[in-house]
Amino acid sequence: MAAAVKLCKPIFRCIGSRQVSHLNTSHSKQLLLSDSALPSHLLPAALVHTSSVVAARSPGGIPEGPVKWPRFNKVVWKPQEENEPRRPAEIFYHRSNIKYSPQKLWYIASWIRGLSIDEAIKQLTFHPKVGSRVVKEVLLEAQDLAVKEHGVEFKSNLWIAESIVGKGSYVKGLRRHARARYAQITYKYCHYKVKLQEGPPPEHYYTPPPTHWDMMEDYLKDYRHRTVQFGLKS
Amino acid sequence: MALPLRSLRFSHISWNKCLGTHVLRKEHASFGMVIQMQHYRQDFKAGQKHYNPKYRRLRAKKVIKIDLPDYQQMKADTNLSMEEMRAKMKKEGVSPPTPYQERPLLITCTGGVFEPYVPPEGDGRKSLLSTARLKDQYKTLEMKGKSALAIRKIKQYDEDFKVKDFALRAQELFITVNETLQNWTEAHWSNGNSKLDLSAKIKKVEDDLHDLVTERAFPDMTYDMKGKTIRWKWLESLEPPKVTHLRETDMISKENIYGQITVRMHSKQLLAVYDRFGRLMYGSETLPKDVVEYVVFEKHLSNQYGVWRLHGKIIPEWMPARGAILRTFVRPLLEEVTEAGEKSVDTEVVDASKPGDQKPLPAAA
Repeated sequence: MAAAVKLCKPIFRCIGSRQVSHLNTSHSKQLLLSDSALPSHLLPAALVHTSSVVAARSPGGIPEGPVKWPRFNKVVWKPQEENEPRRPAEIFYHRSNIKYSPQKLWYIASWIRGLSIDEAIKQLTFHPKVGSRVVKEVLLEAQDLAVKEHGVEFKSNLWIAESIVGKGSYVKGLRRHARARYAQITYKYCHYKVKLQEGPPPEHYYTPPPTHWDMMEDYLKDYRHRTVQFGLKS
Repeated sequence: MALPLRSLRFSHISWNKCLGTHVLRKEHASFGMVIQMQHYRQDFKAGQKHYNPKYRRLRAKKVIKIDLPDYQQMKADTNLSMEEMRAKMKKEGVSPPTPYQERPLLITCTGGVFEPYVPPEGDGRKSLLSTARLKDQYKTLEMKGKSALAIRKIKQYDEDFKVKDFALRAQELFITVNETLQNWTEAHWSNGNSKLDLSAKIKKVEDDLHDLVTERAFPDMTYDMKGKTIRWKWLESLEPPKVTHLRETDMISKENIYGQITVRMHSKQLLAVYDRFGRLMYGSETLPKDVVEYVVFEKHLSNQYGVWRLHGKIIPEWMPARGAILRTFVRPLLEEVTEAGEKSVDTEVVDASKPGDQKPLPAAA
């Protein structure tokens, strides 16, 4: 295979064949390891070593997930006055380093925003995407924690207040193309953050479209604020 | 109603990637009406296969496979039990860590209450004239036996020690301890601000609390209170505090002596416990309660800097249950442990994903 390789200029997202021909992987016995191997950002994960900077942010070899999100679970509120409405419990939960594309998980996260927890679990059970299984597990864990640790009395009395996807650290891999060209494959990881709030879900999660009455009122407001240029001051 | 796809909010989903059962929700940000996508078979995946399946295996070989890290498994591995961890290390050929690390330790309190005082049954509830109460009063009047020995031992180390004075001091200490605990819970208030660094404030209160309470009692008092707020008030003392029990013990060497004193207090108190969100969990700020308490105080006698501190509390079995907390629970499913040692799951199998499946507790508390 090495003999048949052609020299060619590296093309965007592909690397030169001569550099690759000395690469060794567990699944490719034709290639051999050499000192002048690929540039590190294109090497497969098995050949990349973690530097001290990387190690600091990945304790135990696991990349660090959201740090600020779980801190919200530690806030303590002052006792409420009698005239104040009862403050709803808020539970912040996350799962980090999910082997799923954040762009794809975003659709699932958006889908359940503003739903009650029961409805969200129902929807995710039958959602055709693969990531819905992970999100469902996360929701069930969060619901369990809410009852055990955060003082929520009824596990169904929760709704999805926030449902956010964050990008995790990507692992880079390699694939061959025709005509001695190579391309990078990104293996994507993501973090999923969810905030459960006690109470029934709101009628509108996003601002609802203006009704005809609202539009009329806006028009009248502007209409009544018209001024006459160079006119008498009232 | 068929609207052109490019005008939809998710217009960057191209038509051939639409998967069967998607239905856009009723409230649409710009249109506010029901839009239904055309249905496809659920397994229909357009544009994902090469048109010529003949060379698919060669095409697959083009991808250089790598072992992806399974972060979920790695995280689970950190939570292994002792046996599992040992087995794993043995498998990997890693030697276990050194079992001991020499460090100087200062033991300023004992691990428990030695020969705990057994309060007479019905104390604080039965009338003064009942026979049982009279008998008990007779018993407590004579502080003979070990208690007398303990008093002598304590006086060896502390000449000015007097039992009657101690009872009053102990009550004052008890009030201070509870007030400091209240301050400790208040030190955690951040009122929704997760960025506040309260560690210095909390440490200051904890230092004060450690001076009033032994190391053994500190976690008993504070662990369950983390995230909660207390409002406690001592209204009045219904009976003068009484020393009921004295003991002294030694640890490791005979010269290292600790003294323990049990004090009986009958008082009127107010207690209200609030949860993390400032909602009442237990008790009341307006309704006082009469409380009979047996509090144990300890002092490291052989330590010249030893101080009488709160060490524990004796809660007898005959004491009536305290008021129920202001919430309900679902009865937990417990695994039955058979004689053979195998666990069989409770007959009521409940799927956690199905809401409303679990039965609530029966009405009688």
